[in-house]
Amino acid sequence: MDLTPSAEQEAFLTATSDWCRDAMPIEAARARPANLWQQLEAMGLTGISAPEAQGGMGLEFGTEALVFAELGRHLAPIALISTAVVRHSTDHAAKAGLTLAGAGAVRLLDARDAGIALGVRDGRVATFDVPAGLTWGVAIDQTVPLARVAPSPDGSDISAPRAALHLQLLAAAFALGAADLARDMAADYAKVREQFDRPIGWFQAIKHICADMAVRCAVARSQLYYAACALDAGTGDAAFHVAAAKRLADRAALDNGRANIQVHGGIGMTDEAYAHLPLKRAHLLGFIAPVSSSDLLTPELEPA
Amino acid sequence: MEIGFSSEERQFREQCRDWLHANVPAERRPMDAIDAIDFDKAWQRTLFDAGWAGINWPVDYGGRGLSIVQQVIWLEEYARAHAPWIGANFVGVNHGGPTLIANATDEQKAYHLPRILKGEAIWCQGFSEPGAGSDLAGIRTTGRVEGDELVVNGSKIWTSFAHVADWQELVIRTEPGSSRHKGLSWVICDMHSPGITIRPIRKISGQTEFAQVFYDDVRIPLANVVGGLGNGWRVSMSTLGFERGTGFIADQVKNAIEVEELIGRARANGMIRDDRIADDLAQMRAEVAALRAMTYRNISEVIRTGQPGPESSVIRLFTSELGQRIERMAVTLMGEAMIDFAYGDDDAVADYLRGFAATIAGGTAQIQRDIIGERLLGLPKSR
Ligand SMILES: Cc1cc2nc3c(=O)[nH]c(=O)nc-3n(C[C@H](O)[C@H](O)[C@H](O)COP(=O)(O)OP(=O)(O)OC[C@H]3O[C@@H](n4cnc5c(N)ncnc54)[C@H](O)[C@@H]3O)c2cc1C
Repeated sequence: MDLTPSAEQEAFLTATSDWCRDAMPIEAARARPANLWQQLEAMGLTGISAPEAQGGMGLEFGTEALVFAELGRHLAPIALISTAVVRHSTDHAAKAGLTLAGAGAVRLLDARDAGIALGVRDGRVATFDVPAGLTWGVAIDQTVPLARVAPSPDGSDISAPRAALHLQLLAAAFALGAADLARDMAADYAKVREQFDRPIGWFQAIKHICADMAVRCAVARSQLYYAACALDAGTGDAAFHVAAAKRLADRAALDNGRANIQVHGGIGMTDEAYAHLPLKRAHLLGFIAPVSSSDLLTPELEPA
Repeated sequence: MEIGFSSEERQFREQCRDWLHANVPAERRPMDAIDAIDFDKAWQRTLFDAGWAGINWPVDYGGRGLSIVQQVIWLEEYARAHAPWIGANFVGVNHGGPTLIANATDEQKAYHLPRILKGEAIWCQGFSEPGAGSDLAGIRTTGRVEGDELVVNGSKIWTSFAHVADWQELVIRTEPGSSRHKGLSWVICDMHSPGITIRPIRKISGQTEFAQVFYDDVRIPLANVVGGLGNGWRVSMSTLGFERGTGFIADQVKNAIEVEELIGRARANGMIRDDRIADDLAQMRAEVAALRAMTYRNISEVIRTGQPGPESSVIRLFTSELGQRIERMAVTLMGEAMIDFAYGDDDAVADYLRGFAATIAGGTAQIQRDIIGERLLGLPKSR
């Protein structure tokens, strides 16, 4: 048992973090460079867990989840999640967007320049063809291009049994990243913004909001690590642990997203500042591989 | 990162499980400290004789010198076997002993540590005072140096198990006129000394587990000072580190078991059909899983770096609040049967009421949030 990242994982993480800071600053989240996706592919980040035979890195879900939390902290393109799942479980090697089936319409997320998109149909993960000639707008998460298509496009199920859990795990990692981002933005601001002749972080009313943000992140991160290891080890309770990770990460992202805006005061309400970005990302991720109460209550758990 | 245990560790787990299965007492531990003291001592002695006390304590002082992972496995199995709460041995085993291991002289260690492990010596903690709870540096109880003795005057409060204790980890001001963190000393006080008066205090759950202690010219040999005269703040911080750091391992499994029982009960009485209750229970199950993961992560950190990460306060805060949510759910599922509670009953209501201590004792939830904000996030110090 060892739930801390190994030296290699640490090194991968540091390299990713350095790269993200330069290539994906939060300030530019709404207008990413046109060739960002090519850069992500060149870095190998779309195929961390994909088999080496398919041009992937063939690493464990644990490493991928760690790195995805870091990518999520920089509000990386949402299609990284779907592309990683598709590349792990099919022989499709290019970008894959995400689909969300809703009442009346199917929403396509970040599927520009993608031939297919990944979604869930009748409880199974499937890929769908992306029709040509779509009109693209922007989702509530302004980093995400959005288009609508008519209900039930053609699709083919992914047979790999772990694909649904893989999707949920990576969405959890992205949500944790959003929660981390909100915590860091709030803590950084609390150190520099002054009122009553002191940094606002001196006041416990603010300090304790930030402390609670840190607790939510620590809880969600621990469970993410455990869930990723359970999925790698193929334990019988892996589905429960992945669902628990998603649930805690979603809640952390949403609660931290809200708290971050409060800590920023008036400027937190402005479109121009960035405090709303992790909150909006949190709302979007809440619809991707969501967890219901019964997902967590029904499975019988093995005694640890 | 991996979650498996080695075959040696799995074997150790089997041994723990087998022994506990055969030896956990069938009778319930009495709830009140006075009634429970014989039970607590006898159970600790049984653990010691079978080699289960001080699993990762040094062999020289009666421990087994095994790994921290084995200690964790033991505590997990202990909780799973519904073994009795450590009770009056809590202070000695969980923080008095570890503080001595880290700071005491060889003589002090050789005398006290085996007695703690054998359940022969009950310890209590004399930190808080009527005017100094959260503000530990505000203590006023004095120890005047006279020859080779300290003469102690003042009062301590909320001292758990004071009225059944033999020894006390006592923090006093030994430098006249000193203030705040300076001039304090951490001393071993014999609770049977002349000049000590103990007034038990009843809790909202009915038990008299803690007390106020008065010191009237109590004489303590200078040889009982731990870590050097005037170094009491440093030694106290190490005590609090142990106090805040160890309890959660057993709680984590206890919480997991309780949540499973609550889910069963909510299904049986139909309350699971209430969406809010189902949602709260689902959330608790996820949180209990995360708590285990957090504990493992912290242990991994200790093994890797030799010390727990700055997230110990996170675990402490999260565990205490999660435990309280679980206890609250248990009384919610009871419905109006809750109002039948009368002092002294050993049931969910008593646990719920006792559970208020979790976010007060050993540093309140507010103090933990300060620590997290300042040490983990680097926010400016408020105090
Ligand atoms: C069951 C139980 C057992 C205990 N056992 C022991 C024991 O064995 N030995 C021992 O020495 N002590 C013991 N204690 C005492 C415990 O450590 C103190 O109760 C605790 O540190 C709080 O101090 P206080 O009670 O004086 O509350 P106060 O410090 O008066 O706190 C009152 C309220 O004010 C808040 N507060 C205080 N200061 C601040 C601040 N700076 N910022 C924000 N909020 C603040 C607190 O969080 C709390 O909500 C025990 C307590 C309990 C409940």
